[in-house]
Amino acid sequence: MPCPRHASLSAYADQAMQPRARARFERHLHACPICQQHLDELHALTRGLRAMPSPTLNFDLAAQLADRLPRTPRRKRRAWPALWQPSAWLPTGVAAGLALLSGVWMGGLLLGGGTVGTAVPAPMVRVFDPVPPGGLCAAAELCRPTKGML
Amino acid sequence: MSALPQLEEDECVARAQRGDVAAFSELVARYQNRIYRFLVRLTRSPDDALELTQETFLNAYQALARWRPEARFTTWLFRIARNQAIDWLRRTKRVEFVALEEGQDLHVADSGPTPEAALESTQRLQGLEWALARLPAEHREILLLREIEELSYEDIAEVLDIGMGTVKSRLARARARLMEKMPR
Repeated sequence: MPCPRHASLSAYADQAMQPRARARFERHLHACPICQQHLDELHALTRGLRAMPSPTLNFDLAAQLADRLPRTPRRKRRAWPALWQPSAWLPTGVAAGLALLSGVWMGGLLLGGGTVGTAVPAPMVRVFDPVPPGGLCAAAELCRPTKGML
Repeated sequence: MSALPQLEEDECVARAQRGDVAAFSELVARYQNRIYRFLVRLTRSPDDALELTQETFLNAYQALARWRPEARFTTWLFRIARNQAIDWLRRTKRVEFVALEEGQDLHVADSGPTPEAALESTQRLQGLEWALARLPAEHREILLLREIEELSYEDIAEVLDIGMGTVKSRLARARARLMEKMPR
């Protein structure tokens, strides 16, 4: 086996070689003083780097960070039922639905969507009168129902 | 300094994710020196390394919700620190060097049986420090992660967001360049 590339030697020094490749390289290493020397140099380099003085912080960093950590906002108290409770939504939903249906129905009456045989109930249409039912009459003639409406 | 030393790391992180500041402080206590020494040698500026260490933990706190147990917390934290340093290096393009010994609390082990051996050893270590500081950032960071922080190839790949093949080749090149730069 020829001398392996430096990357392989480096991986072997880190015990990061695949088992077959490692076994092959170890056989080569037994007979190659050059690779053995390179391997020794890599080991010495590692020992030297790990022996270097280690800079440290000689204070409690967490205490310094405490003021800079974002705080979880306090939950505000609600005056009404929480939105995820059905009771909060039911009355509103029902009212909205009824209003929508009423509007669509009365709009349909205005547009005359009924067939020849369909009679529009007169009292219902009178909500569109100038003076709707229940309203105050400015003059008596305004409040008398017109012909054909009864 | 360590408030909850008995907690396993996963439990500590889980508590911190739920807003337990004491648990997060415990994580800071466990990792502050490792992150700081990595950033000092990567940036070659102790003052900036201190600021970046703080930013690393602040960013980690805000990003905790996104951390998942499948990723090692160590790897995740070093990735944040490394990205902070790279951004800083790009912004500042620093080329001047600051002596690490000034104002630093350094732990120097007794490294020789005789005074002469100790001096030779100290000089060799200083030479190593000098050569390391003069490597390109790309080589310096991978050497720090492997040789000092003793991360596995897999963890290094995760921190640097590179493939395993690239870890292997880049580490080999970094070691070769460091040996070339060593004072004779």
